Amino acid sequence: MSAAAPAIVRTAAQTIGQTIGQTIAQKIIAAHCGRDQVSVGEYVTVSPDYTACQELFWPGHKRNLERIGVDRIPRPDKAVMVIDHSTSAAMGSHHHETHRTLRDWCESQGIENFFGPGNGLRHLVLTERGFARPGTLIFSDEGNIATIGVLGALNLPISTEVIVAIIQDENWIAVPPSARITLTGRLGFGVTARDLIQTILRDCTADGRLLQCCVEFDGPGLATLSLDDRQAILASLFHSGAYTGIMEPDALALDYVRARDAGRPWQVVRADPDASYMTRLTYDLAAIQPMVTVPPDAHGAVPVEQAAGRRIDQATIGSCANGRLDDMREAARLLRGRQVAPHVTLYVTPGSRGVYVEAAREGLLEVLAEAGATILAPGCTTCWGYQGVLNENEVLISTQQFNYHGRNGARSSRVYLAGPAVVAASAVAGRITDPRDMLSEVEA
Amino acid sequence: MTVPRGRVWKFGDDVHGDDGIIEFAIIRDSFGKEFDEDALRAMCFRRLRPEFPAEVRKGDIVVGGRNFAHHNHVEVSVAMRASGIAVVVVESCDSGFLRRALNHGLPVMICPGIHAAVQDGEVLEADPATGLVTLPDGRVLRASPFSERMVQIWHAGGSIPLLEREFAARRAAQG
Repeated sequence: MSAAAPAIVRTAAQTIGQTIGQTIAQKIIAAHCGRDQVSVGEYVTVSPDYTACQELFWPGHKRNLERIGVDRIPRPDKAVMVIDHSTSAAMGSHHHETHRTLRDWCESQGIENFFGPGNGLRHLVLTERGFARPGTLIFSDEGNIATIGVLGALNLPISTEVIVAIIQDENWIAVPPSARITLTGRLGFGVTARDLIQTILRDCTADGRLLQCCVEFDGPGLATLSLDDRQAILASLFHSGAYTGIMEPDALALDYVRARDAGRPWQVVRADPDASYMTRLTYDLAAIQPMVTVPPDAHGAVPVEQAAGRRIDQATIGSCANGRLDDMREAARLLRGRQVAPHVTLYVTPGSRGVYVEAAREGLLEVLAEAGATILAPGCTTCWGYQGVLNENEVLISTQQFNYHGRNGARSSRVYLAGPAVVAASAVAGRITDPRDMLSEVEA
Repeated sequence: MTVPRGRVWKFGDDVHGDDGIIEFAIIRDSFGKEFDEDALRAMCFRRLRPEFPAEVRKGDIVVGGRNFAHHNHVEVSVAMRASGIAVVVVESCDSGFLRRALNHGLPVMICPGIHAAVQDGEVLEADPATGLVTLPDGRVLRASPFSERMVQIWHAGGSIPLLEREFAARRAAQG
């Protein structure tokens, strides 16, 4: 199924001798609006392969469906509806009603791709269950679902407009410019992909060089990263103002897809050699250090030693950035035979039911629980402050996505962001800690 | 629809959406409920300009700097629209903000040069349909014009009102 780069189709404008190379995003968008090519900034209407929607805004979507008078949606097979933000319908919340009405509506519409509480994040549902495949275009409600770009699928985040895409089976978009980030080398001891993306955000946010872009990743360094690591990079990219991100799938990614496609079509899309990029950057993975992003900016990363020593009250591992099996393994590697500091609460959230099961099978959940961690149901949980709410002046270190004031509770609380190694080491030490010393003991 | 012309509220670079224009800690518990427009109006920009909620008038224009309203939930757009803001004109912003705002009836124009060209309290004319931004001294800056569909969404007051109208027309045509 994987194809060589398609021949460049020449339009009338190009017959005068100019070749306009197309980026991955341009090609996928063109294929979904029935065109040979599209121009950056052009407005086009595309029909997606899928539209992925979470439950939090479902009551509003439902009211809007009723206002508009939508009886039947045109393509129930394209809707992927996931309950991931409020996995435990807690006492005092209204989310249990949302769960009921969303489930009932999906049934009434013949939507088979409904994933109730505990199935995990849309991000992982899309990849693990074979919806995200090379060349697919998926409308979703969040920029962090760029994680599906690991398989060469294009996430176009349209927020609450997902309901518009579900009603019409199409929506407008402006063709984004693209940027290219080339990775070389290999991550050093105790360094994770999260440290890389935190470094990229530090470098690329303030000057807006990735703003509105689809960021393509390539280079020999990419092949040294696991699929889980690659998703950690894509998940946090949007903090730079980038619109989405994508990677040309390699053999590792394609094997993953083949095991899950269930015969559904896909096609690898490659950028043309002369495609145009707003920005080109290169990062040497070997030069990346463990990082901590200090509040309140998502681009406020500093080397871990600059934040080390800060006493913490809570630590959390999970989210669409770091809730995958490799993250569970990294946490367990540090926590095996150790104890979380008595004054610290540690929550660990596997990103999906699949991750949960695999982590159990490998004995990782046992290691985490014995170390004093509380394992939560797969979902967004602590990342948006639904669980693990912070009191005034409490300090959290987390693999979650956000660190702005008030994200996890009291506005005076403080949230530091880091990869799973730094978070696990900090949970043990009770203060922000460089994980490399503890990891050295593990290796020894 | 007349071209928006209004008094400018000028903000700087990197204005945070969820923890600047509004306050995430307050809206989080309301996700899924009808927007509490009174509450959103009351918190809109109060952290940056405490007088904003009381003094903003219908038809006023927000001018922002670089990366305006980054990290924004839809309530950020609803808060500005409910405050009467006719149009937002910025140096730059992410694509998500532009979409969320338009979806809820608030046009956002990306117009490099606007921040240095206009002062707080001056009167600006900004037309999303043509992309033309007319400064107090008559000079004109150019933003990317909205597409026809975007203009329809803006004029209808958002995507949902537009679809309401289109579905009603379709039903009427089918008798």
